[in-house]
Amino acid sequence: MATVPLDIDVLFAAAFAPVIGVVAFWFLQLVFIELQKRMLLRLRHRHDAFCRFTNFIGVLFQTICHALGYTVTRSGIASFQLTVNYGKVEPRKEKTGVLEWIVDSFLLFGPFFIPAGFVLLASYFVIGKGFAFPTLVHYTFLESLTGFGVSMSAFASTFANFLITIDLFNPLHVGFLFVLLFFGLGIRPSYIGEERKEKIDMIHDLILIKNHLVKKPLYILAFIVIFYVFYLLSLFLNPLVYVAVFSILGWMSLTAIFALLLTYLVIGLIKATDGIRTRWMAAPFITVIVSYVLARVFFIYYPMKHVESVSLLVMIVSTIVITILLIKYKKTNRFKTEKKMKHVRVADGKKRTSKKRAG
Amino acid sequence: MERKELLKNEQVERVLSPHPLSFMKLQALSIFVIVWGIVVWWLTKFSAYTSLFTGNNWYPLILWGLVLLLIGVVASLVAIQWSIFFLYLGVFAGGLGFIFWQHWEKDISLFILVYSIAVSIVGFLIVELYRRSHRYIITNLRIIFKGGVLTKRERTIRYDKIADIDAKQGILGQIFGFGTIIPVSQSGFGLGSDKTMAAGGIALGTKKAKLFGFAGGGKEVQTPIARSYYELHGVYPYKEVKQLVEGIVQTHVPTQYQQEQVEFQKQQVDIQTQMRDLLHKQVSDKPRRKTVRQTAEEEEPEEEEPEEEKVTMKKAVTQEDTLPPEQADIQQQMKDLLKKQRTVRVAEPEEEESEEEEEESKEEGKEVA
Repeated sequence: MATVPLDIDVLFAAAFAPVIGVVAFWFLQLVFIELQKRMLLRLRHRHDAFCRFTNFIGVLFQTICHALGYTVTRSGIASFQLTVNYGKVEPRKEKTGVLEWIVDSFLLFGPFFIPAGFVLLASYFVIGKGFAFPTLVHYTFLESLTGFGVSMSAFASTFANFLITIDLFNPLHVGFLFVLLFFGLGIRPSYIGEERKEKIDMIHDLILIKNHLVKKPLYILAFIVIFYVFYLLSLFLNPLVYVAVFSILGWMSLTAIFALLLTYLVIGLIKATDGIRTRWMAAPFITVIVSYVLARVFFIYYPMKHVESVSLLVMIVSTIVITILLIKYKKTNRFKTEKKMKHVRVADGKKRTSKKRAG
Repeated sequence: MERKELLKNEQVERVLSPHPLSFMKLQALSIFVIVWGIVVWWLTKFSAYTSLFTGNNWYPLILWGLVLLLIGVVASLVAIQWSIFFLYLGVFAGGLGFIFWQHWEKDISLFILVYSIAVSIVGFLIVELYRRSHRYIITNLRIIFKGGVLTKRERTIRYDKIADIDAKQGILGQIFGFGTIIPVSQSGFGLGSDKTMAAGGIALGTKKAKLFGFAGGGKEVQTPIARSYYELHGVYPYKEVKQLVEGIVQTHVPTQYQQEQVEFQKQQVDIQTQMRDLLHKQVSDKPRRKTVRQTAEEEEPEEEEPEEEKVTMKKAVTQEDTLPPEQADIQQQMKDLLKKQRTVRVAEPEEEESEEEEEESKEEGKEVA
């Protein structure tokens, strides 16, 4: 049992430190999701299939979370429907009160955290290190907040390091990268549909969440009390547990942010290919694979340090260069016509002859 | 499709072929071969488990072959199609043959990688060739299905013979907008069955006394199923095509003769309503009514003299000139409508007459005989 100083900071304020941290990261995650939505909305008219795919992943996450909510509350699942446009889960028994509220919470908050939890679990097997919990001495608000921040920073640095040194010749790493991309594409809980029926921006999401919370303020109070009791218990038994729980939630948000950042690259590349001639549109995607493979094969014969990172750099640079060149190639041909203008004028009967000029 | 292949009065509504991703089940077989080849190469060359494969050159091949055949068996059981297992068996046997023939025992893992990639590319090409061999032609009278790489197959179904339409769209289809439509004929073409069997046996006793029991069971479910060249497999855009086919099927429910009759009656009703409207218009215009009547009275005696055609024509022209322009226009429209009615009527009895004539001639023939 830890010896805790009797202080208002320790007994009351410190409990909110990791909560503030998690809310801040979650809000940051929402901002990144919002950016992704904007990017996807711009793409939609030309890449409808891609948007439908992202919608499907989003709907899949939502439906799984909803089903999980019914399972946790022991409502049972009567039917489970999943299509690209919508998902529907029906319980065997409709429960009311706290249980209904919990189910709704799963539907609202689940897509932000539950898939992220699974990815975090997978990342433990791929990354291994970096899951460091903070060590507290005085248990103050500032120390808790700093400890939470340090934990986030350590995790972010390890995750970024993994992404920079990712070995795309390792099937495990490739698999994890795909999982991360799928997760990043589907994390947004809003649906980007063919018809814009309702607002899909961050404010809309926040209003939904606010309405859900305001609907049953007593339950919120009960949850806060439960968490506070949990804090007090952990404070006297092992203060690390409380901060660790919130650190895990923070890591989930961080994983989501990394996944979203990765999807920006993919969406950016897709957007860039719109400026390329149709028959060359696949070239940047082929360059991504070919340049990396060539770089790795080159480094097998001419070994050096940081082969994976250098190969990634070669891949990124060559893809950017090829894409820019292809876009420029299209632009130089923009004002050229397939048929010669002279022939077009002859076909229209508007060709100027020497006599007309003379007249 | 060539013009001469079409029937009389047949028009092509749409020519379709399967979506490139609609044969994903077949492409998945190639994808698995390539992925597994890469994994085996990585396991034996770069992973932390390379030491497991250092003892014997044949270990990578054994691992590769075992997993390939195991997946082949599982896929065959799931898809109820043993050709998958024999395909993978062929791939494995081919690889083994190459190793013995070219003596590539030293670097088997690299051979597996190259061989897997080569086999997969060939697999993709064959699937693509097979996909491109399909052609679905939707005309106003029937649907024609064509397919097959070496053996060309063709199915034709008339819309009035379609009893049921089964449509399905998988997740990939929903994302990329393609789907499969199976028109089930009245004879049941397009219907198949999914069969599942379970059996178990037990033998008791060791030397003399043996007890043997066997229990089994089966289940058969009728389901719309057809080969890709007998259905509209993975057609794009799915919703539009489905709507088109369903629409044409609906219009083909009555027979052709009934349709013609309905069409004829519609035309007649249209003409009559137009004439009624014109008459209403003419009557409602009261101040000009007298002049119209006068002209009508003048016309009567002239019409009684059909011999002097030229004279009456001239008079008619002059009368029209005397009429107000609106009335003349109405009369002209009525004349046109009457002409139209006559032409429609003339066209119909001709056919009936010809049929009657044919029947009469047949009867005469019988009498002569």
